[in-house]
Amino acid sequence: MSDQQQPQLPPGWQATWDQNAQRYYFVHIESGTTQWEPPVAVAEQQPVTSPLPAGGPGGVHHARRRQYAAGQTQAYLGADAGMGYGQPPAQGAPGDGYGQAPVGQQGAQLFTPGLEGDQQLQLQQGQPQYYGQPQPGYADAGKPQHGPVDQLVNQFGQMGMGQQGQKPFQLHTVNLVGMPIDPRELLADPPEMRLPPGACISNNPMANADPSYQRCTLNAIPTTHSLLNKSRLPFAIILTPYRSLKETDDDLAPPVVSDTVIVRCRRCRTYINPYVTFTDGGNRWKCCMCGLANDVPQLFDWDQQRGQPADRWARPELNYSTVEFIAPSEYMVRPPQPPVYIFLIDVSYAAVQSGMVATATRTILESLDRLPNIDDRTKVAVIAYDVALHFFSLPPGSTESNMLVVGDLDDVFLPQPTDILVNLTESRAPLEALLGKLSDMFKDNHAVGSAFGPALQAGYKLASPTGGKIIALSANLPSLGPGALKNREDPKLLGTSQESKLLQPQSSFYKTFAIECSRSQVSVDIFLTGSGYSDVATVSGLPRYTSGQTYFYPSFNASRSEDAMKLAHELSTLLASPIGLEAVIRVRASRGLRMSQFHGNFFVRSTDLLALPAVPWDQSYAIEMQIEETLNQPFVVIQTAVLHTTSFGERRIRVVTQAIPTTQNISEVYASADQIAIATLLANKAVERCLSNKIEDARDAVMNKMSDILGAFKTNMTAAGSGASAQLSICDNLKLLPILLLGLMKHVGLRHSSQIPSDLRSYAHCLLTTLPSQLLIPYIHPCFYSLHNMPPECGTIGENGVIMPPPLPLTSERLERHGLYLIEDGQTMFLWIGRDAVGQLVQDVFDLPAYDQLRGGKATLPILDNPFSQRVNAVINKTREMRRTPYWPHLYVVKEDGEPPLRLWALSGLIMDRADQTPSYVQYLTQLKDRVSQGAGGDSWYSELNGAVRM
Amino acid sequence: MGGWWLFLFAVLGAAALLFTMVFFIIMFSDLECDYINPIDLCNKLNQFVLPEMIAHAILTVLFLLCGQWFTFLLNVPLVLYNANKVNKKNHMYDATEIFRTLGGHKRECFFKLGFYLLSFFYYLYRMILALIQESER
Ligand SMILES: [Zn+2]
Repeated sequence: MSDQQQPQLPPGWQATWDQNAQRYYFVHIESGTTQWEPPVAVAEQQPVTSPLPAGGPGGVHHARRRQYAAGQTQAYLGADAGMGYGQPPAQGAPGDGYGQAPVGQQGAQLFTPGLEGDQQLQLQQGQPQYYGQPQPGYADAGKPQHGPVDQLVNQFGQMGMGQQGQKPFQLHTVNLVGMPIDPRELLADPPEMRLPPGACISNNPMANADPSYQRCTLNAIPTTHSLLNKSRLPFAIILTPYRSLKETDDDLAPPVVSDTVIVRCRRCRTYINPYVTFTDGGNRWKCCMCGLANDVPQLFDWDQQRGQPADRWARPELNYSTVEFIAPSEYMVRPPQPPVYIFLIDVSYAAVQSGMVATATRTILESLDRLPNIDDRTKVAVIAYDVALHFFSLPPGSTESNMLVVGDLDDVFLPQPTDILVNLTESRAPLEALLGKLSDMFKDNHAVGSAFGPALQAGYKLASPTGGKIIALSANLPSLGPGALKNREDPKLLGTSQESKLLQPQSSFYKTFAIECSRSQVSVDIFLTGSGYSDVATVSGLPRYTSGQTYFYPSFNASRSEDAMKLAHELSTLLASPIGLEAVIRVRASRGLRMSQFHGNFFVRSTDLLALPAVPWDQSYAIEMQIEETLNQPFVVIQTAVLHTTSFGERRIRVVTQAIPTTQNISEVYASADQIAIATLLANKAVERCLSNKIEDARDAVMNKMSDILGAFKTNMTAAGSGASAQLSICDNLKLLPILLLGLMKHVGLRHSSQIPSDLRSYAHCLLTTLPSQLLIPYIHPCFYSLHNMPPECGTIGENGVIMPPPLPLTSERLERHGLYLIEDGQTMFLWIGRDAVGQLVQDVFDLPAYDQLRGGKATLPILDNPFSQRVNAVINKTREMRRTPYWPHLYVVKEDGEPPLRLWALSGLIMDRADQTPSYVQYLTQLKDRVSQGAGGDSWYSELNGAVRM
Repeated sequence: MGGWWLFLFAVLGAAALLFTMVFFIIMFSDLECDYINPIDLCNKLNQFVLPEMIAHAILTVLFLLCGQWFTFLLNVPLVLYNANKVNKKNHMYDATEIFRTLGGHKRECFFKLGFYLLSFFYYLYRMILALIQESER
């Protein structure tokens, strides 16, 4: 294409070369908007324009929509295969293809010559991405996906860094009222970190922490507590130090420092990192946290393998923010433990009948090769339990297992000292035989009841000498022995202020036991597949304090292949993932900063030390920070160290170092705030509030936090000061925070409803407090795609895998009656089909003659021999794969006129809509605006009002 | 009713309670300095929580039985506060929450320490008073 030459431009436009995309983009100098298309071309593409009345989301759009709806159907019927569904000829008249997207409001947008507001919005939402521009897929947010303003900010930022030294942050204020939401901006990088020149001794781009490992709510930290307080923004870091690697993301494992030369500050024990300074001719280094000058050990510059001097500047710990040190024996309390897996399998009547036993044993059997077992040290045990405990002796060398039953549940003992916990390699044959026949052995079991607690104690007895992982599968409410629970679900309490009682544990057993486990380095993962009440709230305490995870499969039934698939996928992913055993996490920060609160699945062992018997992959932790003294340095460093034993028996320390500049300027604090990290933190805090107070208080606290931030922004940053104003202003980088928090308040874990069983709420709480941002954001702000009219390249393989359709704002205004949509939150996917869907569409996607024949509910989509079916399947598969997650979302087919519960469930993902007790996005903004306007009266505005619940 | 022996007993009781609180506070600061882990701390302290409350309650009941109304009323609020905690089942220290609640625990211990200290001197004064009265008789 002619991308390489600078094109002719109308006056007022400027072309700028983008290094990353290797092409020009175009800046409208007056308004600051940017686009990929040459402005002339756009104007030409738009021969017919009917001016749209500004700001009116009303009748006009409906008329337009219907008109297109009819055209759409026709286009579909007459479509030739190559063209896609209802997709007008692609490049020729993009106006048509996108024109059907009803434009929300256009208040805040600026006009561009040759464009009307309508088109401009499309440009932002779709065109630059999908026309004429080879783009990375949706999951990999590249730079051009930023909002145009963001891009400009970055542009300024780079100029500032590169040529003219430090320039103040450009604070772009937007008016939330009437601002269209572009969900793609949720994938943008956090605001740029602008370290002073020379702060980093390396010019490696990986020298500062990748947000997927560690991100901070503020990318410029106020120097004093009072400045932070004035901004009302929370200060915390979000960590996922042990995250999985996805080949598709070009992810590389952190480099390993293998020569066991671990250089640390004598005083504060900080690991050497790219932010230290070398003094004294390189013989000493100054600690970036406490300022102490330390000696550089001689081995630091020595290549031990080759026996010759080495280049210090090539050392990974001076070039990468995330590195792994191989630890010498000083870092070990005992020799590295082998990975130990203990399977507790419920074999009661309910478990066998639901097919859980068969599914689980088959999955474990098939995963034996994937269990981390590089050096043949891995140990495995299987305990089956119903009203008694069934141990299995698996002597190495034999081919059969031997069952030993223990009926004494009050004082659990191991029936024999050896051969129950066995070496996987040596006892492979009897283990395989056992797993192959276990479900048959118990197929006529009529025992009703569950000795879950005693089984856990037995597993603990086996694992406690070495530590390890207990994987407990249960299909019943624990009913026997220690840890027995009552069915306390009371539908009358749901939706009342008493509800939070059901979300708190009813027995202290699981917490006390968790402490014992944590002490013996035993981590517990629980899979709950019960059809009735499972008391997730109580049972999940055990994974919570032992760094495990709770998996919940309400009314699991393996005769539905989808259910079996989900359990098998999640269990086998868990088994195949490497684990970091006997881990502790310590976070260190520059002088003046202090860790105040910790959120996540672990046990807090001292003021700054978190104990994790086994660090799982892809779990997130949030740590709140306080500014205790004035920060005098130009930047601060926050360093997370995870000491752990790898599954192949090496003691390692994974160190993540993040340097963050400080500022005395409140506008920089705002301009650098990271909305994704803030939302992740507030999700953690809201769940905590649900448990300690009431769910209502948690929602209030979130709402208050949002209005606090908006109020403080208005007072500090806008000319309106504290007076009333028609605008609701916030800086550009925080403009999606309100909708994220609305999504949080409307989430199944928090929303006001008398219909949500407490198990579902508790499970949502487990996820809200453990999901890393990449998963949490879609979980509270689902992704919504229109499939019937997606651009023709969507669903085909592009440069970066399957190309995803552009995500839509979460409003049912976008649902057309003939359309096919996907709503997904990473845990569940809804394939919504409108009631007027044409037969051809139903035929092509579902292989059924007509809409009437289609049944709603859990489904697996057939892969049919037509391009549209293949594209839809590709989009669904990509949705399941694009994030770093063990979860396998169910797919539900939802008919527009189908069963109400399923429909409402699917629609609850469209959070900008009003749903019975929850406000629409517009109403919510009005509420926020009213609160902000009320808060007249300086700094202490609102906070003293009615003693509101705060975070 | 209520001779010097009652207040002698009370003085000894208050001294014991005082020492318990000092012990608690020392343990909490040990926890902050990472000299003890929260599990051991909670196991240790939880042994003393109920005895401390019971000892204080017994003392209060003794005052009531001996008709020392004023002294009794002085102690009633703390008894009620303790009873309320036991009733809500949050009187024991929870190792998983200890760092979140440490500030509150310390405040409570300092308050009790102050209260027992004042009680100690008050009981001592009353004991001496009672002894003087006895000897004058
Ligand atoms: Zn230091």
